[in-house]
Amino acid sequence: MKTIVIVCRDIILNNSIERSTKGLYQSVIFNKMPSALDYIYNSIPNLIVINVINDDPIAVNIINDIKTDPLFQQLPVLAILPDQFNIDHLETLMVEDYIWRSDFERDFLARVNLSIFRSEKIVEINPLTRLPGNISISREIQERIEKNKDFAFGYADLDYFKPFNDRYGFSRGDEVIKMTGRLILGIVKAKQPQGSFVGHVGGDDFVFIIDIDLVEEAATEIIKAFDSLITGCYDREDLTRGFIKSFDRKGKALHFSVMGISIGITETRSHPFSHYGKVTELAAEMKKLAKQFEGSCFKSDRRQDKEADKRIVI
Amino acid sequence: MSNIDPKVLRHKVENINTLPTVPGVLKRLSAVIENPRITLVEISAFISNDPALTTKVLKMVNSAIYGFPGRIASVSHATMLLGLNIIKGLLLGVSVFELMQKAMSGLYEHSLACAIASRVIAQKKGLKEPEEVSVAGLLHDIGKVILTLSFPTEYQAAMNEAQGKNISIFDAEKNQFNATHANVGSWLAEKWHFPRNLIEVIECHHRPALAKNAPMETAIVHMADLLVRARGFGFAGEIFVPEVNAIAYELLNLSESDIKDVLREMEDNMESAEDIS
Repeated sequence: MKTIVIVCRDIILNNSIERSTKGLYQSVIFNKMPSALDYIYNSIPNLIVINVINDDPIAVNIINDIKTDPLFQQLPVLAILPDQFNIDHLETLMVEDYIWRSDFERDFLARVNLSIFRSEKIVEINPLTRLPGNISISREIQERIEKNKDFAFGYADLDYFKPFNDRYGFSRGDEVIKMTGRLILGIVKAKQPQGSFVGHVGGDDFVFIIDIDLVEEAATEIIKAFDSLITGCYDREDLTRGFIKSFDRKGKALHFSVMGISIGITETRSHPFSHYGKVTELAAEMKKLAKQFEGSCFKSDRRQDKEADKRIVI
Repeated sequence: MSNIDPKVLRHKVENINTLPTVPGVLKRLSAVIENPRITLVEISAFISNDPALTTKVLKMVNSAIYGFPGRIASVSHATMLLGLNIIKGLLLGVSVFELMQKAMSGLYEHSLACAIASRVIAQKKGLKEPEEVSVAGLLHDIGKVILTLSFPTEYQAAMNEAQGKNISIFDAEKNQFNATHANVGSWLAEKWHFPRNLIEVIECHHRPALAKNAPMETAIVHMADLLVRARGFGFAGEIFVPEVNAIAYELLNLSESDIKDVLREMEDNMESAEDIS
């Protein structure tokens, strides 16, 4: 159950809060902000509700201090404001939302729900692609495992991304990452609008979840689209030459061909998974295999299937 | 003679946000939007048949928000990058052109035939992205749409002048506006961050020798434009078929049978598209 920390010394209000959140959230009530701190630091609640009393600078300062740490930046704070509160002072409070004391009965629960909903939505979105990151990815996989749903999991990354970045600079590299995220999302969602998922692990690593019957089609289309779009990201001279000059990880000058995309695929029909870590591990293994081939391709680990090592030749 | 200040003209053109389509397309649009099973390929094919929808999609995908400024010149790439939902949303905002209905539907047909011819020639010449050339063929005359839209009376006068004095519409435009549809189209294409090659084709399709970055693509669209006029598909604002540019002709080096193939494929495709306008 999600946890709300309530900082409030108004007994009547505390009773109302307990009553309205009962069964929905676990509410932990503190009289003063300093005593709530220990709990907040140790268990990171889903929401802090603070009953603002005029002239309580300590509580305000503590809230603001908490929120300067990146670990707590996403932690939403909902302020209950006394009706005579000067709304201009709201700027000095680092809160995500507020509610007037007189509106408490009507609005409180809805505001709590919305504050938590918003904070979960913005947690962990990759700023570049706006795709969800690792925590959401793990959650998406684990949820499907627990519900015993069949699914296929694709793990993609780019070949020779680093030399491209070094050659053209990171803003051109960012363009490629954005493009890749967008095209994987576009293709996966067009194949399966409901129940599919696309995430961005970071760097040039992407994952997607899709129905087993659709996964190879999707991978084939992603490869085809990537290969035809990527040439537009290079300068013409480099394209004509067919490679770029850059340095490898040891600093040695080398020639690198045009980027490709390698995709590893695993699926639940051939393996009974119980933990998300195993899914990503197997897909990563398949991706490693795909990377050994020059150019874009995907590798699927349907082990009982002899055709598993299909290679897409463009 | 022209009494339009070029600065005013350019300013007005650059403030255009969207181009209208013809009623026939709008009728089919709702079926496309409401179809929950439509695929990216189907929706791209529909969009590629209409200059207004194509510019809308290219404008969006090449805007800074999606992060591919000046990079995407094909509709299928654009739909893939934007995704079905955004594409459907974009299509909802299309308006119809009621003004000068007849001239517009003629231009529509002309553009469509030109897109087909450009694609076939690009394939014959072994270009890597025939779809991008097809888009260039479809959009080469957007300047005419823009001028008709922003200056209906003046453009009608230009068309009358071309017919009356037996000069080309290109020259009549110069007299009326101090600029041609090729200039006007490229201004907007530039403002919307279209890829460089596409802008150049729009700008140079009447003077293919001036093309620096995409001489081949420009020559193809130039040739397609003339073939479509000669074959009599649609109406490009004049009855006159200009002469083929010698440099473009040599660059393309099309055989007689190549040209026959282009014409045949154009005819086959245009028959199925006839009910649109």
